[in-house]
This record gives sequence, C-alpha cells and structure tokens, in this order.
Amino acid sequence: MYVDGMFTDGWMRRFAASVSATETELTALDQAAGDGDFGTNLTAGLDATLRFLGDPPTGPSDPAAPLRAAATAFLDEVGGTSGPLFGLLFHELAVAAADAGAELTVSALAAGAGGGLSAIRRVGEAAPGDKTLVDALAPACGALRSCDRKGDPRVALARAALASWEGVRNTAGLRARRGRASYVGERASGVPDPGAVGIALLFSSSAESVTSLAPHLAEPTAVAR
Amino acid sequence: MALYFGNTSDSLVADALAGFARAHADLVAHDVEQGFVRALHTSPARRVGLVSGGGSGHEPLHTGFVGLGMLDAACPGRVFASPHNRQVFTASRAVAREDGVLHLVKNYTGDRINFGIAAERLVHEGIACSRVLIDDDLASESEEIAAGRRGTGATVLVEKVLGAAADTGLGLRDLTDLGTDLVSRCRSLAVASAAHTAPTTGLPAFELPFDRMEYGVGIHGERADHTVPRRPVRELVGEMAGALERSLGLGKGASVILLVNGLGSLTRLELYGVLEDAARVLDARGITTERVLVGDLVTALDMRGFSLSLMVSDAETVKLFDAPARTAAWPR
Repeated sequence: MYVDGMFTDGWMRRFAASVSATETELTALDQAAGDGDFGTNLTAGLDATLRFLGDPPTGPSDPAAPLRAAATAFLDEVGGTSGPLFGLLFHELAVAAADAGAELTVSALAAGAGGGLSAIRRVGEAAPGDKTLVDALAPACGALRSCDRKGDPRVALARAALASWEGVRNTAGLRARRGRASYVGERASGVPDPGAVGIALLFSSSAESVTSLAPHLAEPTAVAR
Repeated sequence: MALYFGNTSDSLVADALAGFARAHADLVAHDVEQGFVRALHTSPARRVGLVSGGGSGHEPLHTGFVGLGMLDAACPGRVFASPHNRQVFTASRAVAREDGVLHLVKNYTGDRINFGIAAERLVHEGIACSRVLIDDDLASESEEIAAGRRGTGATVLVEKVLGAAADTGLGLRDLTDLGTDLVSRCRSLAVASAAHTAPTTGLPAFELPFDRMEYGVGIHGERADHTVPRRPVRELVGEMAGALERSLGLGKGASVILLVNGLGSLTRLELYGVLEDAARVLDARGITTERVLVGDLVTALDMRGFSLSLMVSDAETVKLFDAPARTAAWPR
C-alpha cells in the first residue's frame, strides 16, 4: 500500500477530529499557564484546513496537497503565535513531501519535520527545555531521523508519536522560559505544555490515519496497486 | 469612566487606518484587505524596502512615518497586539526591492514571532529578508527578564536614520549592520503620573496616588517596577539622563540626538519644559545635544507621561537625521 495523498488527507482530517475531541482539555491546559486561546486557535486553523481540503478528499497522486492546505490555513487564517508556528511545520512538511513525489517517504517526513523544527526555533527562539512545543517536536524529529530511511513511513510516524508524548510528559516538570507561560513561573509546574500536546496529537493522528484507510484497502484497485 | 470614541474595539484600528490613508492620500496607499499602508513616493536609489509595524495605540508610530525618506510600509496590529504574519508578509512582498526587505521590529515576543514567520515565508519566495531588533528601554534591562529590553521611543530615531541611509543605496547587509549599530547606541526611559485608559473598560489601566509616579513604564501601559514620590522635573530628568548616560557609557565630549517623547496626554507646555531641563542637564555634564526631536511620536494611548531617548551620534548620523523626509508625522 502506498503512503500517498489519501494518507495525508486522512492524516489532516484525523488531526482535526482529535483536536476537536480534545479542545476543552487544551483550553484548560492553556488557561493554567497561558492566555487560554490555544485550543481555539488550533481549532480555527483546522476548520480552515478542512475547508481547503475540500470534498471529495485529495486523490492519491499528490501527498503534499493536504499538507499545503494546512500550511496556508495556519499561516493565513490563524492569529496568535502558536497557530502560525504550526503553519511553518506544515509548510516544511509540504515542501518535503512535494520533493518526494507521489509517495511519502521516511526521508521526506524527517526532512520536513526537521525543517519545521528549525524554522520554529529560528522564529520563536525557543530551545528544548523551555517548555514549548519544541519539547514535543524535537524528540519526534529525532525518532524520524533514527528510522530506516527506506522503511515504512507509518511505522516511523508511530515512533514519532510515542517520542512526542514522552516529550509532553517531560514538559510538566519544566519551568517555562518562553511564551506566555514564562510569566506565571512556578504556578504552571506540573502542567504539560499545550503546544507540545498539539504536536503529539498531530503525530498520533498520523498513526490513526492508517486505520482510517482500511476501507480503501478493501477496494480491489487499492489492493492491486 | 471615559471611553474612547469609536464604533467597536474590532473596527477602531481598521477605521483609523482608512481615515489616515484618506487624510494622507498624497503620501500613502492603503491595502484595505491586508491592513497596511505603503509609501506612494520613495527614493529611486533605495535598494531595500523598509517595513515596520506593531500594535496600534502608539500613534503616530508606525503609519505616521511611512513616506519619502522613512518607511516603505507599516502594518498596525490591534491595540497593543502584534500584526498578523500575513499582514507583514504581504506588505513586505509589496515593497521589496532588488536587495530585499528589512524589518524594523520592536522587541516584544509577539512582534518577533510574527515578523519572524513573515520572514520565513519571504525567504521561501526568494525574497531576501533581514531584521533590526529595536531594544532601547533601559527599565526592562534585567537578568530576570529573558525577553530582553523592550523597544520603545528610540524606534522613531532608528526609522529616520535608517530611512535616510536606505536612500543612499545601501544593500541589505550594510543596512542591517548599521541598524544594529544604531540600536546599540540608543537608550530610553519613561515615566508616568497616570495610566492610560483601558480601551475595553474606560477605566485607568492602573491607579496611582496623586503624590506618586511610575518610573520606568512601558508603552503598553505596563507598570514600572517601582513607584517613586512625585518630584520636580529638573530632578526627575536629571536622574533619567544620568541612568541613560551610564548605560551608554557617555562621558564629557560625547554627542547625542535627544528625543523628548510624549506618551499620549502630556501638553506641549510640559514637553518643552522637560526638553529644556534635559538639555541643560546634558550641557552641564559636557555632553553635546546635536539635535532635538520633541512631540508625541511613540505613544501609549493616553498615558500621562513622557520618555527620554538618547542616540549617540557622529557627523554621519546627524547628516542622515537631517536628510529631508516627507511623512504624515515626521515633525522636522
């Protein structure tokens, strides 16, 4: 089976569904440490992404298109700061996916996520340990880099998801040095960073998106490919 | 309660921007959809587009300084909120020149991130982009504040001198270096005897007893880290100038450009009085005040206060400062 445009389309839709199911918790996390709008911003970006994805879903030939839709949605339609930072990640993933062609590869995922991490760090000037989304994205990038470059991208994404959740768990023990949470100091101790949770949800959704493709697998044409 | 005159808090900035563009239709063009203004007339020698922006509430900054000899474009955000990265991106793309675009950014987290995201997008499109970070506010210099000094009054000095330098045909690298050097030669300090009015409530952002004042306020109505007894201007300005001199390492024989900036509701009567005292203090210390700029240039809504800024100057800086500029608010 190919990890193609149907996969990335399903990935973005799954991500939207899991953020929608988690919005209340994300808002509560952000109220504990930030200004409480993170869940709303993420949802706004994903609503716009769904509008751009369109119906019917993206076909198999262009895995970059759904990622590009998310990049445009988050960069152009979302205010605040963390939304557009997600936009940078989607943009880099889309560029790397386009370079890879009709099938998403582990190399492309590693390059895209790595490029996104670099861009986010350049712009936000956060380092690992500052209690930001970088603390989930950096381990995810590490996991993608350590996977077999010619291996199954879905396995690599599952490993990235596990690594990012580990990163989320670690943020609970950190004192924020960047972003709004840095102003509340010790009051946010024990609370994981909501941006990091968003990143972990993104990678988890990719793994779940494999399951969502099951109906396609049942189709003779899909199996024959 | 004394609410601002406006329709809704959402429409205030857009309405004001449209009105500004109408009032100065000979100077600026208004992009209604993206929410920025750009200069109609610019020097053909300029090779880099200068773009600034930031939260509204600091008028005439930045829109008032769009025009010949200063900024190519300015992007206002909502009151005290950074502009959207899309505003900065589209404005930058509209005014970029053969050597790209330079962002003049006041040091606040939201502005840094949104200008930074716009810069990433510009580079993806093959437009060279660089940044000068303005961080002149002495009151926010502390080991405890990782974000660093805020960008305040000196912004207008940097915009003027860099604008004139851009008109000499400097490239992106040289302009960035000059801008960084200019910022390192600027410090500011602000005091207030009353807070600004919060737009949403019509109430003062903070309360201050009659006989006290805030020493080291920011331009978003941030309180200072300490409140001091009210004192005569000469004494107050003496302390402020002393702190600025020490921070800049100024000694006898130094030359400066002095900015006396009203924060929104000081009278001209008071501002000129402050200016005279500040200049006398500098004279007494053997520091030459080469040029003086005075007025409400970088405000904090209607805060009752003023800031002093010094820019260490040499003959070249003064020449660039004196170069003619034609914008809605450049006062010379």
